[in-house]
Amino acid sequence: MTQHSQRSGINRRQLIKGLGAASLLPLVGGVTPFAIGGQHAGKVVVVGGGFGGATAAKYLKRANPAIEVILVEPAETFYTCPFSNLHLGGLRSMDEIAHGYDELQDRYGVRVIHARAEDVDAAAHKVTLSTGSELDYDRLVLSPGIDIRWNALEGYDEAAAEKAPHAWKAGSQTEKLRAQLEAMEDGGTFVMVAPENPFRCPPGPYERASLVANYLAQYKPKSKVLILDAKDNFSKQGLFMEGWEQLYGDRIEWVGLSNDGRVTRVDAERLEVETEFGTVHKADVLNVIPPQKAGWIAERAGVTDDSGWVPVKPETFESQQVEDIYVIGDATVAAPMPKSGFCANAQAKVVAAAIAASLESRPAPEAYWTNTCYSLVGPEYGISVAGVYRVVDGAIAEVEGSGGVSPTGAPSATRALEAQYAVGWYNAICQDTWGTQT
Amino acid sequence: MKRFFRRAAAPVLGVLLFGGIAAKSLAEPSFSSEQVDLMAAACANCHGTDGRLVGSVPALAGRPAEVLEARLLAFKHEEQSDTTIMDRIAKGFTDEELAALAAHFAAIDPDGDDDSQAEQEPQE
Repeated sequence: MTQHSQRSGINRRQLIKGLGAASLLPLVGGVTPFAIGGQHAGKVVVVGGGFGGATAAKYLKRANPAIEVILVEPAETFYTCPFSNLHLGGLRSMDEIAHGYDELQDRYGVRVIHARAEDVDAAAHKVTLSTGSELDYDRLVLSPGIDIRWNALEGYDEAAAEKAPHAWKAGSQTEKLRAQLEAMEDGGTFVMVAPENPFRCPPGPYERASLVANYLAQYKPKSKVLILDAKDNFSKQGLFMEGWEQLYGDRIEWVGLSNDGRVTRVDAERLEVETEFGTVHKADVLNVIPPQKAGWIAERAGVTDDSGWVPVKPETFESQQVEDIYVIGDATVAAPMPKSGFCANAQAKVVAAAIAASLESRPAPEAYWTNTCYSLVGPEYGISVAGVYRVVDGAIAEVEGSGGVSPTGAPSATRALEAQYAVGWYNAICQDTWGTQT
Repeated sequence: MKRFFRRAAAPVLGVLLFGGIAAKSLAEPSFSSEQVDLMAAACANCHGTDGRLVGSVPALAGRPAEVLEARLLAFKHEEQSDTTIMDRIAKGFTDEELAALAAHFAAIDPDGDDDSQAEQEPQE
């Protein structure tokens, strides 16, 4: 047992003693309370230590410190996708997007195991780890993020990703793409292949194009960015295009689906891509953001459907297919909520409250989710989209009249303020998720 | 432990603990403290856990409930020239929810550690 839960266990006993058992019973309404005298309050295994998983672990402990919470995450250091575009643009070091698990362990008493979850036996309520050991659970939380659908785009497999990085999971892929960009000669073309919906971080490709253009404008002014897109519309499109024109002129060229933007074949060896109607584009640096699906363990757990993503019950984010498994973040089908780190964090809190309630046989509180997503068009040019969501008629819906994007045509002072808030947001969500202090 | 108390006996204790605004809260629909905790958790993504983080986004913890509530209602109902995003978010909540959120953050000690700290305090 950890210090915290030990302490709270004692306090709980003291409290019960102080009040007398008789006076406690009416308070809890006859439902068996948790951990009286060290009784089992429930065991929750959380797989994945990103925005969703780390937040779920923390907020489970905040809801009830007596719940045993185990977090399974292979990496000791987690690099966030949010702000990884700043690293690509030379504006932030990898250390500045790195987070660890000290707060979860030392302050909240979460047991963190650095291993990979290899399999889930839902009937037996067991998770098998890469170390060979098994963990049993009362409730399982999966926050597995995304996996790449290798070869879904012809020619794009794991070997190709070494030559033409996706950098859609932050870490070594991010560093690889940054190194290629730095090594590119002035006059080169950075070609980005953008996927169809749904995919992780809808505005991400366009923020990336922006910050690459910002870097090129300073260091390789004859170079360009070409975005080949499998769709005709993208997140915050009007705002991005307004910003591109203001900051980068014609340095960024975007080719949508209707103008033969959809790439159908990648030749990573030659750094060439071919579009639907046979146009071949040659890149100097090639960034392929490929089709995606829920992280692999979701498939093993049997919670994915034919789409490759995970359908969930809107009120609690429990799997629609497997009991006692809750899934959060990019892996889920949660539209109109986007696949964002912010949403994963928000969903994790709903899941933590739902699980804490279910372990005490109480109904879950009503779910609320928000999303705020900042994108940097330039270091001092921020734009945002916000949303507030609830369950309406059994489905997740955006609250009418709320949310929306930053205004177009706003003065530069507003863009500068939103760029500052973007940094404030990043610091806050990383503090809230991993306890990172900046 | 406070948390346990609050959850178990929220409607009663909530009013007692929030003394100053008790009269007002009585007239409004009450939310369980678990419900308010979950609602308020959505604010932490930008304002830090328990609304305590000080930065370009302002902290919420320990600010007077009246001030927070007035600000939130203004975000929701009035044309505000000095906000970039809170107007879009406040519109997603009812006035009663905004009042409950204001009371929630007003009652948090801005210099406190977190709820594990509260557990170290002597019990009532």
